[in-house]
Amino acid sequence: MNFDHNHVVIMGLNQRDSIWKLLNDYNVNSLKRRRQAEIDAFFELFERAQRIRFNNWQNGIELLDGAEWRNGDIVIPGGGGPVISSPLDQFFIDPLFGLDMGNFYLSFTNESLFMAVTVVLVLSLFGVVTKKGGGKSVPNAWQSLVELIYDFVLNLVNEQIGGNVKQKFFPCILVTFTFLLFCNLQGMIPFSFTVTSHFLITLALSFSIFIGITIVGFQRHGLHFFSFLLPAGVPLPLAPFLVLLELISYCFRALSLGIRLFANMMAGHSLVKILSGFAWTMLFLNNIFYFIGDLGPLFIVLALTGLELGVAILQAYVFTILICIYLNDAINLHQNE
Amino acid sequence: MLEGAKLIGAGAATIALAGAAVGIGNVFSSLIHSVARNPSLAKQLFGYAILGFALTEAIALFALMMAFLILFVF
Repeated sequence: MNFDHNHVVIMGLNQRDSIWKLLNDYNVNSLKRRRQAEIDAFFELFERAQRIRFNNWQNGIELLDGAEWRNGDIVIPGGGGPVISSPLDQFFIDPLFGLDMGNFYLSFTNESLFMAVTVVLVLSLFGVVTKKGGGKSVPNAWQSLVELIYDFVLNLVNEQIGGNVKQKFFPCILVTFTFLLFCNLQGMIPFSFTVTSHFLITLALSFSIFIGITIVGFQRHGLHFFSFLLPAGVPLPLAPFLVLLELISYCFRALSLGIRLFANMMAGHSLVKILSGFAWTMLFLNNIFYFIGDLGPLFIVLALTGLELGVAILQAYVFTILICIYLNDAINLHQNE
Repeated sequence: MLEGAKLIGAGAATIALAGAAVGIGNVFSSLIHSVARNPSLAKQLFGYAILGFALTEAIALFALMMAFLILFVF
């Protein structure tokens, strides 16, 4: 009887009894005695697979038989040092202080930690620059940076949002932009954690902003806001379909806003990890030609890191400008087109 | 069997990249055309092009998301 790992894992617990019954049908004594060892071996393997599988569920990552985590690398017992781990390991959420309350998972994870770091960074940067009632007339480097961000978002809001309500929404948009910018840029620091590479975070952000935008729309226009769903001058028979389509596209905006940010961050970071894995492996092949040729992948990784820095800023910008466009749609309905 | 089917599905999901490639190429070719016609608008147009690029690229990333869903969720 040869049971390999995969087959054992697939079998559920409730199948155990039927297997026993099946094996007991071999009720020939001589055969049974010979088989008993095999049956024991099988169930030992079965239990072991179940145990490993259970541990894997707990960890959220599939490990092969007997492998375990050590310092962020997968270590296989009995020889074999650290093997190259999956490019998705960097997004692993690690509870620093575990806390489960009933059905709620309230642990303080590394994600929470890096979000807190972002908030502290932004607040201290803005605080240092504006302390004692405003900055100096000749700004130093920090103040220039903050002024640059402020000016950038102010121009964005002024360009995108029409009417006399720009200033009302400017603080919210500035905070969103700064938070995303610092989260994205912080993720580019080696060994840190990219908060925005989890759609848990980005979707929570985009959904809450989108609900807010819808509330703003209803506040300003009342039930007239529903005219958003029907472009002017549409023949009546076409209206039901168009309303449905516009409703879907309106709801999909919220989804695509979050998914775009998350997918960009995750794809970029995985790509850098994969390519630096190539460079790393090539470096240790103990061959002088590969060692020199390693400059190629290394340069690609360098270029990609530059690209990722650009994407980090660009995605924060795109997220913000789309919020502005959607907000403008909600405030001004169809007026300024 | 299932593993193999998953890999095939994830690979097939990357076919969508063809469309994104066409889209991004179209964005920048239009930018070059426009700047060639009216170089004084280059700065403003570049902003629009970058926005268009980001939106198009995001569509490609939906394909990536599908590939990850196929590989890791099902």
